[in-house]
Parts: sequence; structure tokens; C-alpha cells
Amino acid sequence: MRLPRFFGKKRGHRRTGSQAWGSFGEGLFYCVLLVAGLGFAGLLLSGAAAPEWRVNHDFVETPCTIMGKGLARYSSQEADLAGSFAKQWQPCLRLRYQVADISHESWSTALPRSSRTDRPTAIARLTAWRLNDELTCWYDPADPNSVVLERGYNWWLWLLMLLLPGALIVFGGSGLVQAIRVWGKSEEHRAASAGLPEMLDPMDHSPSEAPDHPGVPICDDLINSPGTILRYRLPIESPESWTLLGLGLFAMLWNAVVVVLAVGAGLDLLGGKIDLLLFALLVPFVVVGIVSVCVFLRGLILATAVGTTQLEISAHPLRPGERYDVLLGQGGSGTFRTLTMTLELVEQATFRQGTDTRTEQLVVWKEQVHAWQDIQLVPNARFESRVTILIPQDAMHSFTSEHNAVNWRLVVHGLPERWPSFSRIFPLIVFPPEIAPPSSKKSSSRSGQEGVL
Amino acid sequence: MSQANQALVSSPSVAVHFDHSHRLYEPQDRLAIRYSIDGIENNERIRAVELSMLWYTEGKGEEDLGVHFFERITDRERLPPTVTIGSFVSQLPLSPLSYEGLIVKVRWCVRVRIFFAGGRDFVSEHVFELGEIPPAHTPSGDPAKLSA
Repeated sequence: MRLPRFFGKKRGHRRTGSQAWGSFGEGLFYCVLLVAGLGFAGLLLSGAAAPEWRVNHDFVETPCTIMGKGLARYSSQEADLAGSFAKQWQPCLRLRYQVADISHESWSTALPRSSRTDRPTAIARLTAWRLNDELTCWYDPADPNSVVLERGYNWWLWLLMLLLPGALIVFGGSGLVQAIRVWGKSEEHRAASAGLPEMLDPMDHSPSEAPDHPGVPICDDLINSPGTILRYRLPIESPESWTLLGLGLFAMLWNAVVVVLAVGAGLDLLGGKIDLLLFALLVPFVVVGIVSVCVFLRGLILATAVGTTQLEISAHPLRPGERYDVLLGQGGSGTFRTLTMTLELVEQATFRQGTDTRTEQLVVWKEQVHAWQDIQLVPNARFESRVTILIPQDAMHSFTSEHNAVNWRLVVHGLPERWPSFSRIFPLIVFPPEIAPPSSKKSSSRSGQEGVL
Repeated sequence: MSQANQALVSSPSVAVHFDHSHRLYEPQDRLAIRYSIDGIENNERIRAVELSMLWYTEGKGEEDLGVHFFERITDRERLPPTVTIGSFVSQLPLSPLSYEGLIVKVRWCVRVRIFFAGGRDFVSEHVFELGEIPPAHTPSGDPAKLSA
């Protein structure tokens, strides 16, 4: 019996060895999360939830009389900067009530709306209560000296108990179940086993596949928008929009911080006090804030000034060897020196480099569909042109897996006269060629091929 | 393969026979495999044999794989050394087709994985082609040429 190796080596793009220790470490990690969640839940249940539940279910209601008033003092465990211990005060009442014909007297601190506060406020709250007033209280039949003046549930406590330990238990539990399920299994066995339900497997990032076509991406998102002339309007894939949104959010948050700092500095200035450190800090913050707004506005103008580009297609998904009509619609105004449409095949690989996850794209095939020269656009009348694209007969179909993809796309490149050039990407889904009926298929040789390892 | 110390222990020999010449298949073809396992020492007990037909990715990205056919044999009556040959048949799916890209490659293969009682395992992989997609990139670095 040999222990599994701690370390593995990378052979080409495949990591070898130490799988058993990897699975063990993963299982241990999820186990720790699960135990922490259970422990946390146990503490909350026994320390807060169970006593509250007992007060509402087991405590017995009885009339009582206020016999005395007082303040409970709570001192903090740690001294403050001055070396003194902070104190808080809570109003409490001494109550007399009957339990099985025996008179009991006990202090109750659970007064309505009487959280811990400073001493003057606590004293002020006590004045609302008068000695010898009749009230209703609830006592613990197991310990008649334990009495409360208020019942009910703290919703935030139950929410806290459900959310924090619940998240740890679900995440740790599902991970542990997954780790146990794959323990000792080969990668083929793991892949062949049905996975956990999606909700219980937060680490599953497998892309959706088209029905009966493993590895081919689903194209539902590309056919849910009808075109005006052709059948479907293709959605635009614009990473620039997300960049612009990120820039806008950054500019907004950064300048919010600048405003807070500036208001503080302005108030100091009005009060005749100059905080040099604050002003020194404010100058670079303001510069970065102004630059971020300028970059965002420039991106916004570039994105909106050129006008929208729309593509419509006669069918979807596409098949190799088939021709399809494509309608280009370009809005905006002014002159375009060139406007070109290309059909591209792009490979995409996601890999880890150290602790970073990187994605690399490479255009492995490109064909110009059409190029338009010197287009004069007028407002409210978009430029339209209809072209035909041909998917090559022996083309690779669209392919997607967790870390790899082969994507087809139409790209419109524009060079306006007054603005920088732009590229707009429209994804396409290409299915494998349709299978010919069995009778027309070439009969394959039966000579066989043998391999030995 | 997960064996680092193959040289120190006996290494089985797995022969796989495909029913199509040049191991070329079309989507939805019937793929029939015959295999034989040799070189198992008499004192080595085999715990299980796994037969699988799968695709996996190679290239720059992390490896992904999808299993189309899987069978795990644990019945002693069907394991070597009692039985050293076997076969299985499966209908191939419509996709993904074998693809030789530049940074993404899709390969189909049959794997025979032998689990020994001592804890080690031995895997034998036999690649075949599904579909006839030409390589996406020429060795000279020219853009790929697809015939229209």
C-alpha cells in the first residue's frame, strides 16, 4: 500500500499525480466549513434561539405588581483609550407574582423598548413605570424566579441564524458530498456520474449545451429577437459596454469619496481651520476623479456618436456548407470611409497562470464578406445592405466546454471620418453538418485498426 | 496516465481493435471495440476495469472532458486474469467533432483503465477521429484554409 504523492508534475497541459491528496484537502476544507456552520448554528440555537423559543412556548402568564425599580449596569470587557471601562445601563423592575399560591419576587430586565443605554436615558425610561402598578408577566415553570415582561421573536436573530450558518452548512455540505462522491473515482467515472443539482453545486460552471449536441452551445439567446426584414436580429457582443459601465461606476464611487473629503475640508476651512494633510490628500484624489470622469465621458461619446449597428440573419443555427442572408443596418450620421463585414472563427482557451485565470482568444480563420466604401449617412435613415455568407463545408462547428471554446462570429469594422474606428461583434452558432440518411453514407471498410499500449 | 513508477512494477499491455479502418468515424456511426489485456502478473489482483469512450480538450486551456460511454467492471468473473478480452459497442454522438485547432484541440478516445488491488491504476488511451474537420492552422503559420 503506497501513500499518494503530495506533488505532481505538469505533463504538457495535463497535471499528473497528487489527485488523492487534492481530493482529501478539498474534502477537509468543505468539512471544516460544515463543522463551522454546525457549530455556529448550535451556538445560536442554544444561546439565543432556544431561550427565546422557551419564553414564547413554555413560560406561564400571570399578573404581577411592580415592587421596585432599578438599573442594571454592564461594563465593557476592554478599557478605552483613557483607561476606563465603558458602562451601559438598562432599566429593570422588581416584580411580585404568584406561582402555585406561593409569592415570588424577582427582577426582570426585559422591559419593552429598554435596550442598554447611558445612565440618564435609562433613568428617564424608568420614570414611565410606577410602583404598585399591575402588569402581566411570564415566568419559567422550571425556574419560577426567571420572569419576563415581554414576549415575541427577534426576526433579525432568526434571519442571522438561517443565513450565516445556513450558508456555511449548504456550501460545506454540498462540497463534502461532492468530494465523497468523487473520492477514489477516475476522471472518466466522475465525468460519467450525474452531478449534483445546480443549486447545490456552486462550483459547477459547465456551459449549457444544445439538445442532442454535446459540446455545442445552446442558441436560445440568439433566436429570441425577431428581425424587421430577415428572421432573426443578432445580439451584439460588446465588451466595450461593460468596460464603459465599469468606468462609470468607478468614476461615480471615486468622486463620491472626493465629495465627502471636500465637504470635510470645506467645513474646516469655513471654521478657520486648515488641515494640511487633508488638503494634500484631496489634490490627487480630485485629479483622479476628474480624469475618471473625462475617460468615462469620452467612452460614452464614442459609443453613442457613431450610431448603432444591427445585423439580421435569415436562419439560425447555421450549418456548414449552407448560405445565409445577412442584413446590415448602420445608423448615425456623417461619412464612413469604410465599413467591412467579416466572418471569423475564434478559438478561446481559459487557463490558470499562477493564481490568475486568463483567457486567450485567437482568430484562426477569417473571410471578408463585404466592404462598403464612402458611405454617407443621414440622421433618421440608416444605411442598409443585404449580403450572403457561406459557412465552409468542412468548418468546425461551434464548441464550448468549461475552459475551451470555438466560436463563430460576424464582425463589423467601421472607419468613420470624424471618429475613431470601431468593431462590433455578433456571435453565431454553427451546428455540425446534418447527417445524411444511412443509405447514402459511404460504407466503411471493415479491415479494422489495432492499437497497443 | 497516473503512473509514475511504471518501470518499477509490471506494466500491462492493452490492445484495442477498432472496427473502422484508420479509426475514422462519422457522427452517429456505430463504434465497436474489442480489447485484450496482457502482461498481468499472477500475484497482482485486479480490482476493477473501466472502459470509456470520451472526448477531451487539449491545448492552451485547462483540460475538459465529456464521457459518452462508460462501464466499470468489478465482477471477478469478468476481470483478468479470468477474462482478458472483451468488447463493447456504442453509437457515436453528433458532436463534438475531432478538431485540431491552434490553441484548442478536441480529441476522441477509448480508454481502458485497470485498477490494481494495491491502489495503483493503469490507463491505456486509444485515439480515434470523429468527423473530418481539417486542421485549423497550417504549420507555417498561415491562416487556416477551409474549403468552401
